Amino acid sequence: MTAFLRSAFLSFGLAWVTSSTPLAATLHPLEVPVLAAAVQAGSLAPVEERVPQRPFIVRYGGTEKTAGRHGGELRTLMGKARDIRMLVVYGYARLVGYDEHLAFVPDIVERYEVEDNRVFTFHLRPGHKWSDGYPFTSQDFRYYWEDVANDKDLSPLGPPTVLLVDGQPPEVEIIDETTIRYRWNHPNPNFLPALAGARPLFIYRPAHYLKQFHARYESEGELEEKVAKFATRNWAGLHHRMDEMYRFDNPDLPTLQPWMNTTRPPSERFVFARNPYYHRIDEQGRQLPYIDRVIVNIASSSLVPAKTGAGESDLQGRYLRLDNYTFLKAGEQRHNYAVRLWRTAKGSQIALYPNLNTSDHVWRELLHKSAFRRALSLAVHRHEINQVIYFGLVFESANTVLPQSPLFRPEYQRAWADFDLEKANALLDEIGLTERDSRGIRLLPDGRPAEIIIQSAGESTEESDVLELIHDSWLQVGIKLYTRPSQREVFRNRTFAGDTVMAVWSGLGNAIPTPSMSPEELAPTSQQQLQWPKWGQYYETRQRAGQLPVLDSVRELAEHNAQWRYATTAEAQKRIWHAMLKIHSEEVFTIGTVAGVPQPVVISNRLRNLPPEGTYHWDPGAYFGIYRPDTFWFEK
Amino acid sequence: MLRYIALRLLLMIPTLLVISLIVFTIIQLPPGDYLESYIAELQSQGESVDPEKIAFLREHYGLDKPFHVQYGHWLLGLLQGDFGYSFEFDMPVTQVVGDRLVLTVLVSFVTIIFTWIIAFPIGIYSATHQYSWGDYGLTFLGFIGLATPNFLLALVMLYLANVFFGTSIGGLMDPGYIDQPWSWGKVVSVLEHLWIPVVVIGTSGTAGMIRRLRANLLDELQKQYVVTGRAKGLPPFKLLTKYPLRMALNFFIADIGAILPSVISGAEVVAVVLSLPTTGPMMLNALQSQDMYLAGSFLMFLASLTVFGVLLSDLALAALDPRIRLQGGVRR
Repeated sequence: MTAFLRSAFLSFGLAWVTSSTPLAATLHPLEVPVLAAAVQAGSLAPVEERVPQRPFIVRYGGTEKTAGRHGGELRTLMGKARDIRMLVVYGYARLVGYDEHLAFVPDIVERYEVEDNRVFTFHLRPGHKWSDGYPFTSQDFRYYWEDVANDKDLSPLGPPTVLLVDGQPPEVEIIDETTIRYRWNHPNPNFLPALAGARPLFIYRPAHYLKQFHARYESEGELEEKVAKFATRNWAGLHHRMDEMYRFDNPDLPTLQPWMNTTRPPSERFVFARNPYYHRIDEQGRQLPYIDRVIVNIASSSLVPAKTGAGESDLQGRYLRLDNYTFLKAGEQRHNYAVRLWRTAKGSQIALYPNLNTSDHVWRELLHKSAFRRALSLAVHRHEINQVIYFGLVFESANTVLPQSPLFRPEYQRAWADFDLEKANALLDEIGLTERDSRGIRLLPDGRPAEIIIQSAGESTEESDVLELIHDSWLQVGIKLYTRPSQREVFRNRTFAGDTVMAVWSGLGNAIPTPSMSPEELAPTSQQQLQWPKWGQYYETRQRAGQLPVLDSVRELAEHNAQWRYATTAEAQKRIWHAMLKIHSEEVFTIGTVAGVPQPVVISNRLRNLPPEGTYHWDPGAYFGIYRPDTFWFEK
Repeated sequence: MLRYIALRLLLMIPTLLVISLIVFTIIQLPPGDYLESYIAELQSQGESVDPEKIAFLREHYGLDKPFHVQYGHWLLGLLQGDFGYSFEFDMPVTQVVGDRLVLTVLVSFVTIIFTWIIAFPIGIYSATHQYSWGDYGLTFLGFIGLATPNFLLALVMLYLANVFFGTSIGGLMDPGYIDQPWSWGKVVSVLEHLWIPVVVIGTSGTAGMIRRLRANLLDELQKQYVVTGRAKGLPPFKLLTKYPLRMALNFFIADIGAILPSVISGAEVVAVVLSLPTTGPMMLNALQSQDMYLAGSFLMFLASLTVFGVLLSDLALAALDPRIRLQGGVRR
């Protein structure tokens, strides 16, 4: 039985207990006060008919959260009109989502079953409706699969890669009105993480709405009229324009999220009203979300900290930085909010990537020696960086997983990450870099001084500050560092081509993984990996381009990664993860500095059900999403 | 005269064509395209990017086409009154610019009036009381306004207005009034917010205007007709406003060519700092994200206004100032 199967059954079991008895017998849903008038007037169905027959019942027992009251407006700030997509991220209604411990739980679906990570069966909630009151059924999945993902005009490149296993699409079965099955021949462990992601893979669409823009369902004449009206190139463009489940900028597009957009861009203020057909209710029968409206005000991103400090946001994390902390703190009393420091979850705030594919063969040979990479890592004074730049608030760590991850082990964090100049010098002497020039810089085998040019995208002063500190400590082991900023695309292309010896970027994108998340970041899988772009490209293009890794340890990582895809038990996945993490930290393919940089989060003192300390991360986490903003509520 | 106007109008065609080519080239000069900067923006916020979607968009937006095809497509559209499509907003450019134009014109107009109200009396006073304490004092004030960085002044005033008057930070009205129909409360809210950008943008413009008015007026005041007028017993104020002041206003008419586009674009930097819903920040954003049709069409619009404004001020000068004659240029 797979990990998924077990967790699925576990949660399924729970869901079953809570929802097998008819709703009316146990819980009487309470009408939402702001909607009561509409229900009275008969323009809206009463709440019993709006929620699914077996809604998701949120239980607060054993958590810090409490049942709340309806009402209130949540104000938040965004830097651009396009940022309203964050409401899909924060809303976090997913077919299957993560709970706070990063386990999968059914959310929009009532339950799901997984066989060997190959066959996924989803059971929808009978009576579940879109935000416009139209039933949400398996037809919406069929529409996406047949009429969107496999339509030559709408998706010229075919279905998204995450739905392909070895290039093969799944077999999609519409079993009945509420049951859908996806079947692959080989395991697809990335399927559920994609559904639960911050930017979810939407494998369903509101077919009843979108059909009017689809050539298969709409007469040519009317379609042409609409294409002309919206000034798009053709009907495919029009369909894309209307079908923006993620961008969230089409108020007419029905949604399943807790709040729905009611403002048509362009605007400086977007009002999100509660979705009257939302599928979750609390244990007292109150339909979620508690908060009636979410107001998104658009301000230039540089003004967001100032406006937040003036009490113009009830919940803000986006566009706040650690250096705004004192200013925000000063406004706490006057504007009745609290500033919390949450943890970010990158493997390293700033990491150095020795380019193992650099075209300079002297450097390449040197960088291929693990002793050299270890020496460089030992010569980074992480404690100093922490104290000087981050007020001593961060973890000093190699570029690896964080303590919040179940895969964390202290030895990964500490591996070659203690500041030890003596050992670093000894390592460098051992590999034959004993000659030095008059400045004390070591000489390379061909007589050049060991001057490393670090290629940077040059986008933050924070980065150059950290590099300045590393420069000083590396000098003590006889290595000179220069930084060379360039425009981002140039930066990447130079690294891909092997023109750079070392690059600087942030560390692991997801440093709080569970065994069921893909370890692909640790293995050569993509050209975007700055430490081995050509080796990554080799696996990415399935050996059509790039180079076969010459280091055994890197090939080993690639093999482990391949095995992980086919692993069917959580135990096996975990074993593979640890094997990879061990190689990764022993070989120091990337040099980490500090991790867990605090993210200031401003929370109104009236807002309840947010943890004082949390993780602020894109995926997994969806920023606030994983804490379920539909359960947040305002005190009177 | 008609011949002259026709000639000038004809000359505008090649001018605008060259401008369009330059504008489009410069927007395309930085490496990458809109989608590159879009990816960069997503990644900087930690978001993931779907490479297939990007490839689809590149093809859909025609960004994979060579430069001259993109340029030709845009130019043909412009000639037919189609300003193109904004990638960033995913809608036609005209719709994006539409609402912002009204507020931009409002801010710019009030600012220009404010500048005039301050600069005119001071300029006249400085010229008529040359080298007096008042002249020095007021000129000094004007220069302080010119020398203070706009963005700094804007931030300081924002903060003070928020702390003392409780005005919401940035924008042109309280967030609650955005997208609401006009009401008395909304007007008051706009006025509450309007004075900050007006004062900030205005202070930087007054000094220049004071100096130019003072210099021009001083030239005129030395002339004999002023002495004659005074000798004949004209009241000083009437003498001043009726003759030398009118003569000194030539620079003012010549300015119309520059004022026209600035009314539409607003002061970009201040608008960004103050987060004003005007066209300035929109254009800056479009340039940064290489949203080329939005930026290009807007710049073309400004360029046409400039070219047209210059023509207008030339014609106005010819009509108002009898010393300016058309024949001079023709004969040469």
